[in-house]
Amino acid sequence: MWYDIPLMLLMAYGFGFLYYGLYRNITARVHGRFGPSLAQSFWDSIKLLTKETSTSFGWVFAAGVVIMAAGAVMTVLFIPYFTDTERFAGLSRYGNLIVVLYFMVLGPLGNALGVGSSGNPFGAMGVTRGLTRMIGLEMPFYIALIGLMIAHRSADIATIMAQQQGTIDLVAHPLLFVAAFISFAGFLGKSPFDVVGAPPEVYSGPAVEFGGKFLGLALSQSAIFSFAKLLLMVDLFWGGAADLWELIAKTFVLFLAAVLLGNVYGRFTTAQSVDLLLKVPTLIALLGLLRV
Amino acid sequence: MTYLYEQYDVQEKHPRLFAIRTEASTLIETLQEVTTHTEFVTLAQIACTDWIEEERFELTYLLTDRARSRNLMVKVPLPRTGGSLPSLAFRFPQAEVMERDLHEMYGIVFEGNTTLYDFVLEGWHDIPPMRREFDTLAYVREHYDFQRGRTDGKDVKVEQKRRREEAKKRKAEAQQQAQTPEGAPHGE
Amino acid sequence: MSEYEQSGFVPYDPQAEQQSLEAETEGIRNTQTLIEKAIRWFHARSMFVVAYGTGCGAIEMPPVFTSRYDIERLGVVGVATPRQADILIVSGYASLKTLRRIIRTYEQMSEPKYVIALGSCTINGGMYWDSYNTIKRLEDYIGVDMYVAGCMPRPEAIIEGFVKLQAAIRDNTLRPGYVRYRENLAGYKANQTKVLGERIAPEYEENYAGMELS
Repeated sequence: MWYDIPLMLLMAYGFGFLYYGLYRNITARVHGRFGPSLAQSFWDSIKLLTKETSTSFGWVFAAGVVIMAAGAVMTVLFIPYFTDTERFAGLSRYGNLIVVLYFMVLGPLGNALGVGSSGNPFGAMGVTRGLTRMIGLEMPFYIALIGLMIAHRSADIATIMAQQQGTIDLVAHPLLFVAAFISFAGFLGKSPFDVVGAPPEVYSGPAVEFGGKFLGLALSQSAIFSFAKLLLMVDLFWGGAADLWELIAKTFVLFLAAVLLGNVYGRFTTAQSVDLLLKVPTLIALLGLLRV
Repeated sequence: MTYLYEQYDVQEKHPRLFAIRTEASTLIETLQEVTTHTEFVTLAQIACTDWIEEERFELTYLLTDRARSRNLMVKVPLPRTGGSLPSLAFRFPQAEVMERDLHEMYGIVFEGNTTLYDFVLEGWHDIPPMRREFDTLAYVREHYDFQRGRTDGKDVKVEQKRRREEAKKRKAEAQQQAQTPEGAPHGE
Repeated sequence: MSEYEQSGFVPYDPQAEQQSLEAETEGIRNTQTLIEKAIRWFHARSMFVVAYGTGCGAIEMPPVFTSRYDIERLGVVGVATPRQADILIVSGYASLKTLRRIIRTYEQMSEPKYVIALGSCTINGGMYWDSYNTIKRLEDYIGVDMYVAGCMPRPEAIIEGFVKLQAAIRDNTLRPGYVRYRENLAGYKANQTKVLGERIAPEYEENYAGMELS
């Protein structure tokens, strides 16, 4: 249907911000305090969009943010929401898992281009850390997904979902799931792999020169992107969802697991993150690959 | 410690604080000897006292021992204008910053120190402000404005006394009112 | 006359000032459209504070922003850079060196922006009223929106300051500092030049080792 795509984006936007609000509240309760209201992230992003722009860095800077948003939006559109791929399938029949993985990397690269053009050294430090960390995160994630693609003899997400009606991949390939989950927590920007935007360290890294509208757009695309990654994990490892409530339940459980993991651990440095990720989860993924 | 008592005239100000005096010309020699032959090996602070009545500065090089329990002051007199001392930065790296601070605040020149520029005061165009002839209050009155209309330049004790008297007066009046109520008296 | 009174303060007429303030805000309050009201509601509901502790008042800010008094439930969050922030908290005395950085930070923030000044040092010099190196009245140099009195104000007082600022923004009962700064820029710059000299804010590229000796 023609209204599929806008509705998919709206759902990703809404759920992404709602989950971000939940993240703030859960973290607050872990700290022993009350958090903001659940809709606080909505108000933050809307307020940011109404601020005046104080300075401009040229069109490359603006293009960087737009590329980042485009990467997030395209990632969402290529992942089917439900198991019956009639509704809310978006563009998933035109591209498979490999296209999705490509779009996942496109966003941060575009951001690096834009932030680098501003000339702020903290921005350059932030994007360097981000891209280095991504090298570490990608390794176990891709090995796990390649294992899945081999097991199901297909790179199409809908096919992988359909073949999980008997046993879900979480149970059939547990080692692959563990490796992918560790990377997935890092992709979501949760500890211990959240060194990129660390405010006390590099003045929030890539977002150092983002004010007003840029930051609003960056937050919005971050919400959409988080939901896209949650959706990908649910589709690949948990057999997808048949209707909306199942989708909400499954994404929420996965999100909760990542958040609680993040609350327990402190922050690793970039070198420590890459060091860990290239050893332990990669090993787990390779062992899982043997069993495939 | 015995070395000190042999070579210098040591004054014990406190069980853990000792003082010796020296001259500007023999300063480096004295410090080298003290830091190599006694337990006072670390330079902790260079402080300056402005004896404006006697027209001199007195610098105090505060040395401390490894256990950080006992201190030795090496006192050096210096004329208030035109005096200069050799810099100790070659021997104690921390002396560089201390001398920079003293140069900014008192105007003492340390020969050999290349970092004698702005430290805390950026673009200061008056005399070095810690000298006692610098009148802080006059400077403030000339350069800054205060809030208009604030009248709390009152003496606190006088105010408190006045308020206490007023409260007492009010209380006495209230008691009088209670004892002689207006209207008909209730019972006996 | 005490030393303080000799410093040249001028008694003023509180009634006249109150009337002129009321006239100003009355004029503002009548020009609200629905969209402006909504925008103001968002700005009151979500505030980003730039993490810059300028003076000794900064010791009272960590309890406010963390679990002890938790201002995040009012929608207030700390961010790292002035470009992302709405609020600058000037927490205590401002020496001339700090004032240069405060002005640079304030001018980098994007509008609408608000300043909360903590402590008596920003109001009237406070404990350092007779110091040659601190400023006595912050509103001469940047546009201040809310003073919180105290030395230091306790976290409860700081939170009350935030609540009052949020109410004032939402109900449009204040003339924001950035509007005053923008309209009277020449006056503010004259005040800044008077205490700071020609070089009001640090240059972007400067080799400090090459600065001239004073």
